[in-house]
Amino acid sequence: MRTDTTNTNSTGAAVPKVSVIVPFYNEEESIEPLHAAVVAGLEPLNITFEMVFVDDGSKDSTAARARAIAERDPRVRFVRFRRNYGQTAAMAAGIDHAIGEILVTMDGDLQNDPADIAQFLQKIDSGYDIVVGWRFQRQDKLVSRKIPSRIANWLIGKVTGIPIRDNGCSLKAFRGSVIKRIPLYSDMHRFIPAMASIAGPRIAEVKVRHHARRFGNSKYGLSRIYKVLLDLLVIKTIASFAARPLMWFSLLALPLLLTGTSLLGYSLVRALLDGATPSLPLAGSGLILLASAFILFCSGAIGELIYDLGDSREHQYATLTQRLRTRAPNTEAQAR
Amino acid sequence: MIERNRKVQLSVIIPVGARHSDLAELFAEYRAGLEPLLMTHEFIFVLDGPHPDVLRQLEPLIDAGNLILVCLNRRFGESTALMAGFERASGDLILTLPAYHQVEGGQIGKLVAALDGADVAVGWRWPRAGGVLERLRRRAFHGMVRMVTGMRLHDLGCGARALKRSVLEELSLYGDRHRLLAILADRQGFKVAEIELSQSRLDRFEGVYLPGDYAHLILDVFTVFFLVRFTKKPLRFFGTLGATMFGAGGLIILYLVADRLLFGQSLSDRPALLLAALVVVLGLQLFALGLLAELIIFTHAQHLKDYRTAEIIQYPPQPAAPRTTRDPALERVVLR
Repeated sequence: MRTDTTNTNSTGAAVPKVSVIVPFYNEEESIEPLHAAVVAGLEPLNITFEMVFVDDGSKDSTAARARAIAERDPRVRFVRFRRNYGQTAAMAAGIDHAIGEILVTMDGDLQNDPADIAQFLQKIDSGYDIVVGWRFQRQDKLVSRKIPSRIANWLIGKVTGIPIRDNGCSLKAFRGSVIKRIPLYSDMHRFIPAMASIAGPRIAEVKVRHHARRFGNSKYGLSRIYKVLLDLLVIKTIASFAARPLMWFSLLALPLLLTGTSLLGYSLVRALLDGATPSLPLAGSGLILLASAFILFCSGAIGELIYDLGDSREHQYATLTQRLRTRAPNTEAQAR
Repeated sequence: MIERNRKVQLSVIIPVGARHSDLAELFAEYRAGLEPLLMTHEFIFVLDGPHPDVLRQLEPLIDAGNLILVCLNRRFGESTALMAGFERASGDLILTLPAYHQVEGGQIGKLVAALDGADVAVGWRWPRAGGVLERLRRRAFHGMVRMVTGMRLHDLGCGARALKRSVLEELSLYGDRHRLLAILADRQGFKVAEIELSQSRLDRFEGVYLPGDYAHLILDVFTVFFLVRFTKKPLRFFGTLGATMFGAGGLIILYLVADRLLFGQSLSDRPALLLAALVVVLGLQLFALGLLAELIIFTHAQHLKDYRTAEIIQYPPQPAAPRTTRDPALERVVLR
């Protein structure tokens, strides 16, 4: 379990202000320029920082180069996966291993500009918990990339209730104490802000520069829309209903209950009035729907059981972003 | 828990189930096969359930050879027996062998030698005896496994497997999972090799495969399929299935309603209505199951890490390493 949420590590060593998390997958040409760019972007700011490079089981020399950088530069932490586990896992690993107060995530393909990080830090310092980038002049193909992404962003905003203009931009900044407690799994790296909404964070957007890809090939395509839709549904239901599964299933059961009752009732009334036997298809359908509503209701009860036995309650997501206002004159009134 | 007054290099675990050959003879054969390796080794026979005859046979040998007998009080199945043997094992390399003549005893050294380049080496009985039907069955099974996992395996049923200690420490084997060991290990990022071993002349299967055996194989394939594709995203599976059914049922209903409105075909005497209701309801139930599964994942997400790390480089090397850096030796110390 993640317990290091207090921003001090056990050695008592200085905690860096910023951790820059970069997942790499087959980006051998990008890694060195990226390291240089991050250093060039952060050194003028006069803050302590570290970088967490996560190698997601690359097949090329990415790992060797990242290791070389980590051995040369003590600010770089290098985590190598045993095999390819996907971008969400890489992000999660980066977040787990970073120790900074503010965690910045970015892509390993040089499409983000580390010089933009300064704006993100400013936003976090001014009280936001999550800051997401918005590639307002995007350097990608219009039809195959920009239009689908416009539609996807609109949809994600509608469904999750968090209107972010550019969910696909990897350049994001998080308050470490918040993001470290948010579960990330499956393919959720696209929806980190939506998933984080279970803790009710304050979210801001900043415009970022976007460069065309210099090396390698893009690893995204149109084909993922269907998966994205299902993931979206999962996040939506979890974010809004996880703590109330019985209600969640009752909502599913309600239409069945209504249709079932009316079908059954109609056929019975007709049978009574006409004095004939009830029509089998109508009454049968009604019964099936009613039975199903009942089973859904029971599933909801099982859901309550699962939630009760799980560990979500311990995490108290609400406390991650709360602010205390008390009369006590101590300095901890602004607890995070 | 484990008393380790003497440590050996190689632990041989032999789970003894209902089917076993003359074990004294087999023991001698295996021991001769390990001779050329020049490794210190121990044999652990796990008697899965009461086997008085085996006990009588092996007990006199305890003093002579490096032999441990673990007697389980009832039959628990091969996976559990393997894990019980592993509890007792002190070697860094583990070799599991079948309790009946399956491979030539002289060949098992090849398996252990293969651990130089791999974490897991599984046996493949080749060339192999067997009728056309059996070969076909085998081919179909492994073809399906390959389709799902992308792994080119030929003999999941072979009980001769060599593996490094760390592999068994990370895997949880239960039920019938020992057969899927190669696949499970691959999923954890371990390197798996398949080694050709010549089949024992005595490994003959006289009899017919019953429908139950086929059901077993199909269930195995399904387990693998689910493990590989959907463990962390159950709604992708249940949701797709459910949505398809729901859609199909919806279409039938649409057709029936159109028929009713346009051609006056009464709904009450159409059995198709029953079918439609049934399919819609089934789809909804599947979907609900998927949501329940997602709830289970979500409430345990903090414990289920998606990734396994191969190495971590950080400065200064921290004593309180993140949870995911698994150092088995360290963990055992903590446990005590």
